Amino acid sequence: MSEGLSFDIAARFSGFALEARADIPATGITALSGPSGSGKTTLLRAIAGLEPAAERSVTFAGEDWTGRPPVARGVGYVFQDARLFPHLTVAQNLDFGARRRGASKTDVEAVIDALDLSALLPRSPERLSGGEARRVALGRALACRPRILLMDEPLTGLDRARKADLMPWIARAVAGFGVPALYVTHSRNEIGFLADRTLGIEEGRLTGWSGAAPQLLGQVVAAASGTVEIALGPHRVQVPGRGVVGETWAIPLGDAYVISTRPPGDSNAALTLEATLADAGAPDGCCRIDIAGQQVDVPWTRPGGVAAAPGTALWLTLVRVSGRLAQRA
Amino acid sequence: MSLWDPILLTLKLAGLTTLILLVISMPIAWWLANTRARIRPAIEALTALPLVLPPTVLGFYLLILMSPESTLGGAWVRVTGEALTFSFSGLVIASIFYSLPFAVQPLQTAFQSVGQGMMEAAATLGASRWDAFRTIALPLSRRGVLTAAVLSFAHTMGEFGVVLMVGGNIPGRTRVISIEIYSAVETLDYATAHWLSGGLLVFSFAVLSIVYLMNQRGMRTGV
Repeated sequence: MSEGLSFDIAARFSGFALEARADIPATGITALSGPSGSGKTTLLRAIAGLEPAAERSVTFAGEDWTGRPPVARGVGYVFQDARLFPHLTVAQNLDFGARRRGASKTDVEAVIDALDLSALLPRSPERLSGGEARRVALGRALACRPRILLMDEPLTGLDRARKADLMPWIARAVAGFGVPALYVTHSRNEIGFLADRTLGIEEGRLTGWSGAAPQLLGQVVAAASGTVEIALGPHRVQVPGRGVVGETWAIPLGDAYVISTRPPGDSNAALTLEATLADAGAPDGCCRIDIAGQQVDVPWTRPGGVAAAPGTALWLTLVRVSGRLAQRA
Repeated sequence: MSLWDPILLTLKLAGLTTLILLVISMPIAWWLANTRARIRPAIEALTALPLVLPPTVLGFYLLILMSPESTLGGAWVRVTGEALTFSFSGLVIASIFYSLPFAVQPLQTAFQSVGQGMMEAAATLGASRWDAFRTIALPLSRRGVLTAAVLSFAHTMGEFGVVLMVGGNIPGRTRVISIEIYSAVETLDYATAHWLSGGLLVFSFAVLSIVYLMNQRGMRTGV
């Protein structure tokens, strides 16, 4: 029996049918990715018990949730549009679920601290910016001590800068509280930064799994307000965020990087790391490179189609650099 | 007979009718706001009928329904020992039917504007349906509740046709303000008619101003 989330969902609307069956591991962030109208939100709603007619079976850690109303499942749901209660303050919004799910004051305080919500507590949701409202919505879902977090495109409608601000908070919350998350998105950027694995969906059918985007892991060696310094072997990398010395952070490579066989020289790039080629013929058209003792598989188009020999010195240049707290083991 | 008797009787009738109407209308309005049942338009039309029916038509059918010879009227006589027709209790029941749309429609609009989204959010946070209704839907609909209460009260204050059909004109028992004005005009007592009509006019204007003021404030605060 699966230790994580298992579901078998079938829904039929006019001109659209959803048939989805999968087992989701109970760790880290699993992205559910597909184009608009592919059935992502319906699937997530069915798992939460909001589409009772669509459920064939839903189990979590061996516990049968099939047919249970949302109130009787241990899910935390973050909606696309935040859905904060406008007649309650931020503090009351956070308490709403916490009280009903038997979470303690300490649990709520931990969420307030992790998401830096103290200054927002007395405010009305109508006086929050878009990014703040999403942060509160995430906090509200976490404050009721969910067994799994279901997030339905929680960054939709925010500009690129706000998304970049919020993604580390999401990663930190999921990793810090050890809650597995199913994260609906069609953004490659969000998948690259947040996802430990991705389940694809198209036209109501699951299309298969893919692993985490390439990333490097390092230890936090210094943390000042708003900045974290991470050690990657001999390199020191500064990324925006809130961290604690000793934590393991991931630096996703994203898709804005360049691999070269010559030193790049002076550039405006955020970071350049020395590497060596470990395997030019890694699966899926990738090559495996070694950076400070860590091996990562990255897509690399060889200049002139000539494969370099293992051991060749390489330089990995990242245009932007960002980091997130890695999932705790 | 004092001029205050019909005024107090009308206030008592309007107050009691409003309280009962709010209790009855909430589940009806909630159901209408959330159902996709095919029967919904028929129920909506039924609750809105008093808006378009001549009060005499409504009053006539209510008179038949409440007469001691009917099932309802007969049962009432057996239980209470008195007839529903030409009684204060009969007036209350008639007023509930007559003012039903004035309570149901503002509540239905308010519940629809809360939307299923908020209820779903509450459900995922551990609230039962009743809990979510009480703590989310009702506070968010407070303007609709106030509007329903004020309009029901004001509409009952001014009813005439139904009251005359069902309650007649019994001083101290069924003679409400509108009937008193009618009687005063019939007996050429224009001074009484002026006092009561003017009072009702000022009251109605004040009530409507309060409703519109509440709506304006609600729009400003966004709730």
